[in-house]
Amino acid sequence: MIAMNSPSHFSRRHLLQRVGGGFGMLAAAVSLERDGFAANSLNPFAPKKPMHLGKAKSIIWIFTNGGPSQVDTWDYKPELKKRDGKVLDGFDPKTGFFPGSVGPLMASPFEFKQHGQSGTWASELFPKTAMHVDKMCFIHSCWTESNNHSPALFMMNTGATRMGYPCVGSWVNYGLGSESDSLPSFVVMSDPLNRGLPKGSAANWGAGFLPSIYQGTWLKPTGAPIDNLVMPASLTPRRQRAQLDLLAKLNRGALAQSPIESELNARIESFELAYRMQTAAPEAFDVKSEPEHIEKLYGLNEKHCGHFAAQCLNARRMVERGVRFIQIYSGGMENQQSWDGHNDIAGNHRGFANESDQPVAALISDLEQRGLLDQTLIIWGGEFGRLPISQKAAKPGRDHNPHAFTVWMCGGGVKGGYHHGESDELGFKAVVDKVSVHDLHATILAAAGLDHERLTFKFQGLDQKLTGVENPKVVKQVFT
Amino acid sequence: MYRLLITLLISSSLLAMEAVLPDDHAQRMARGLKTFDQHISAILKQNCLGCHGGEKVKSDLDLATREDLLRGGSHGPVVVPFDAKSSSLIDQINHVKEPHMPDGKPKLSEQVIAKLTAWINDGAPYAEPLIAGKKPKRDASVVTNEDRQWWAFQPLQKVMAKSIEELLLRNAKGMTFSPSADRATLVRRMSLDLTGLPPSDMSDTSDLSDLLDKLLSSPAYGERWARHWLDVARFAESTGFEQDYDRPYAFHYRDFVIKALNADMPYDQFVKWQLAGDEYEPSNPLALAATGFLGAGVFPSQITANEVERTRYDAMDDMLSTTSSAMLGLTVGCARCHDHKFDPFPTRDYYQMLSTFTTTTRMNVDVHPDGKITSAITTMDKKKSTPVVPGAMRLMICGEGYDPIVMHTQGGPFFDKTFILKRGNPDLKDGEATQGFLQVLSRPGDGKRWQWQPPKDAKTTGRRRSLSNWITDVDHGAGALLARVIVNRLWQHHFGTGIVPTSNDFGKTGTPPSQPELLDWLAGQLIANGWQLKPLHRMIMLSQAYQQSTRLDPAKEASDPANALFMRRVPQRLEGEAIRDSMLAVSGSLDETMYGAGTRDENSKRRSIYFNIKRSLLIGSMVAFDLPEPLVSQGSRPTTTVAPQALILMNSPQARTWAGGLAKRIVSTGDIKQQITRAYRLCFNRPPNADELARGSDFLQQVGDLTDYCQVLLGLNEFIYVN
Repeated sequence: MIAMNSPSHFSRRHLLQRVGGGFGMLAAAVSLERDGFAANSLNPFAPKKPMHLGKAKSIIWIFTNGGPSQVDTWDYKPELKKRDGKVLDGFDPKTGFFPGSVGPLMASPFEFKQHGQSGTWASELFPKTAMHVDKMCFIHSCWTESNNHSPALFMMNTGATRMGYPCVGSWVNYGLGSESDSLPSFVVMSDPLNRGLPKGSAANWGAGFLPSIYQGTWLKPTGAPIDNLVMPASLTPRRQRAQLDLLAKLNRGALAQSPIESELNARIESFELAYRMQTAAPEAFDVKSEPEHIEKLYGLNEKHCGHFAAQCLNARRMVERGVRFIQIYSGGMENQQSWDGHNDIAGNHRGFANESDQPVAALISDLEQRGLLDQTLIIWGGEFGRLPISQKAAKPGRDHNPHAFTVWMCGGGVKGGYHHGESDELGFKAVVDKVSVHDLHATILAAAGLDHERLTFKFQGLDQKLTGVENPKVVKQVFT
Repeated sequence: MYRLLITLLISSSLLAMEAVLPDDHAQRMARGLKTFDQHISAILKQNCLGCHGGEKVKSDLDLATREDLLRGGSHGPVVVPFDAKSSSLIDQINHVKEPHMPDGKPKLSEQVIAKLTAWINDGAPYAEPLIAGKKPKRDASVVTNEDRQWWAFQPLQKVMAKSIEELLLRNAKGMTFSPSADRATLVRRMSLDLTGLPPSDMSDTSDLSDLLDKLLSSPAYGERWARHWLDVARFAESTGFEQDYDRPYAFHYRDFVIKALNADMPYDQFVKWQLAGDEYEPSNPLALAATGFLGAGVFPSQITANEVERTRYDAMDDMLSTTSSAMLGLTVGCARCHDHKFDPFPTRDYYQMLSTFTTTTRMNVDVHPDGKITSAITTMDKKKSTPVVPGAMRLMICGEGYDPIVMHTQGGPFFDKTFILKRGNPDLKDGEATQGFLQVLSRPGDGKRWQWQPPKDAKTTGRRRSLSNWITDVDHGAGALLARVIVNRLWQHHFGTGIVPTSNDFGKTGTPPSQPELLDWLAGQLIANGWQLKPLHRMIMLSQAYQQSTRLDPAKEASDPANALFMRRVPQRLEGEAIRDSMLAVSGSLDETMYGAGTRDENSKRRSIYFNIKRSLLIGSMVAFDLPEPLVSQGSRPTTTVAPQALILMNSPQARTWAGGLAKRIVSTGDIKQQITRAYRLCFNRPPNADELARGSDFLQQVGDLTDYCQVLLGLNEFIYVN
């Protein structure tokens, strides 16, 4: 592992400290110049060797924002149907968000059927995605520490309920570097239908105490997705080229006598990269250039799912271009804007499943057909689950449940048709092989070839980790 | 030997169990030792050690040494020396208390139990550890004299020296300073260092000392250096978390910092006001605004019933952690869940300090034209909030005695008491915490020295002012470290690296000072100057060390790669704020209006310190140039080189507009050569050389557009670095 634990590890002085004076390491750092974001030995994005075996080169996290209900999606509970309408004895009304709206146990309004050779039970919400169950790996025993959106979102994204820690994408970005020289290596897409951002917004893709370059780049849902990518109207390509040529010549003239020659060189190079990005990035985001059968596969022109289809397709295009970490938020902020079905769980979940089922299924098929599924980990999951009891509302809903929820993964070397852990017979609490958020993070890092114990960054005197201090465990069973 | 044992015994028992020492303790201990040798050692090894100190240490209970035994495990002490009746171990082996011991094995024989009972009644002495050579675990809850030996906890050394040069040369291993930079370079360096703006007066011929006076008395000095402090203070103007609501009256704190620096407020007062301005000068709006330091952290806007208490501890932790990082360079926050693993900060110290803030909250107050100060009620429901009275000024402060700002919460703004928590968990309370300070930075027995009793009619408890007394007390409290930390920050911003490179960590995980004597000497100078910073800036900037050229010196670089000896100088990249402000300045469009509410409009022409800082909507161009997220105290920024920075300089509408402004300033200067010369003087404080002149002329003749040319200059390395 290239030591990377100095907050200002980009000056020559610190580089020398980092490599501990070892010539081999310095050489290693220099030999990584080829493909980086800033094409230089000081390049913080230079691709780094994975620390241990893992197949995923890219990760796509479909973040089902608001907290989908496990018992209405992927965690089938026949017992819940039997006890429909009965009071859940001993239930602590503070478990969910609304202590005053506690209803009785409520059967899922959806039909469940078995799919695939694995016989995986899935609700009727995902007819297309369910066709892939034999490639999907389900963790039914996830639990988290908060019953409130933003702390739970922070927990799921950064491993801490408090604001201000680096998110999973930033850690992966920091640990693996970038394979792309024309796109940011960590991008986030939020709801394009004007239903808001996940609670806590940018803090969910922030770099915390890691250098800010590792934060997620939020693609604006409307207009130019990245700032300053378009040349000012008052310039022409020829004139901008002339500017950059002059800039390079003048900068080079001042190089020889400087003790920070390599840093200044990197800056010269960064202008050339920026120049290339201007054409490469818009090309990458141009989903309209895809052939018709792909458009159809994703449902790009379908009213009910076209917006999400464009994001999933975009994700595939970015994976092809070496982007490391892509997060797509399904749903906007809260309540009826997202999977947060406090009111009318049936209508709420039907709507968001309908938006995403076809595009997600298409993403799996498409990556598979291109031979990319093995090296791309898809994660589907939100910040918590929902209660098996109903929440009293105009139409019954379900309140937040931190004690159990299901996350599934697909591709990237995970076992297909595999179910890990169990919630209790009502889907209320995780009981068998419980998986904490830190365990989940350790597992995601492992899938990307990163050892969560060794992926550290020195801050406030400590070697900080994504997965905290309480000895989380990689869920090894999910890997083939 | 007996004396030694008894000393150990007294110190441990006083701390842990408050046992009464019987009159015949010496005789009893002697008898107990014999029992230990003959029976107890074997009994413990055979029945207990397997789970408690041998292969395993269940429930954290380790019997291998006497000290470990007496400290007890995660359920508390199990043995009270000289008092078997009060020792839970005896109850457990008698099977009258759960869990019965030895666990899962038959009950010990009556004989064995009797021997153990007698041994405890004799003081439970050990002749030797049960495992040969094993040393007792260090008790991190006790601060020892050895702990106090760490350099940062020592009083300031008395260093005899006349100058910075003298001290640096003493350690220079035969090296000498690099030659001085030329005057034009120095003028630009000094100007950017002190004001964050390029030199404006090109005809300036005054000597450097006069120039320094001018720069230090410029209001731009406060605007530049306040930004450094705002990083340390994790300053922002929104709540963070789910809604990231604006704090529309938080900017007064930023203005306080600028004003205080410009007025050269003594640093100890600067610190005191930030912790307790409302307790020093309750009717002075500036002193009140200073407390914005404590309130600048994040706070959730939606808090469920079972999160109320944890959230409150988080908020107090933010105040304490920021105070200790910013002012003392210490990571005290680590002791929230366990005794600090590296530094001598016991969890108890943490909670005792934390209790300083028990009743401290964010509040909005209105200062009326007649000077009267009233509470403004601020809730999430505008209708229930106090409207802003015309003519009154509303400030966000952080203290006691006015109405706390209320978020969407299922609980109150604070709890009346702060408790010591096990593992940081509010459900595991371990007694109330009364105010205290770090033992390692307090002379023993001085507990009451700093306590301040507020007047009878005061709105506050006096606890924050007491903290500020301790933190600024050079002789008995933390004042020496306070001085070291701030002089190091000054040095860091003047040289690129601090004497202590880890400017926010002076503890054992940080890097010790490269020049300890210089650090202490500077700290002593600061205190001798009445804690004023401006004389220190002068002293540093007039030194040969500061004025060295940045010309490459491979020999020096090879022998001192980290530049710990400061015998050479390395160019520094400007921060995003200074780059943007410099562009505005040379374009002739800088709006010098000071203070007041900020904006998030990148087209603003005011200095960048007046950007409104909303945590979820940070200013893109600032973030691209490494503005840290304002979440925790940040002592230094990374310096990265990435393509988005180039995109800003190439394509942002602002870069283009300001290049146009510069073009306008030079267009009427004369012919192309004169235009180029004027542009170089404005941007780099020097004339162009022949090559630069030729290339510029070629470009202007071929492309023709003066704005295009000026934009190139604004993107040059020379523009965004300080030589």
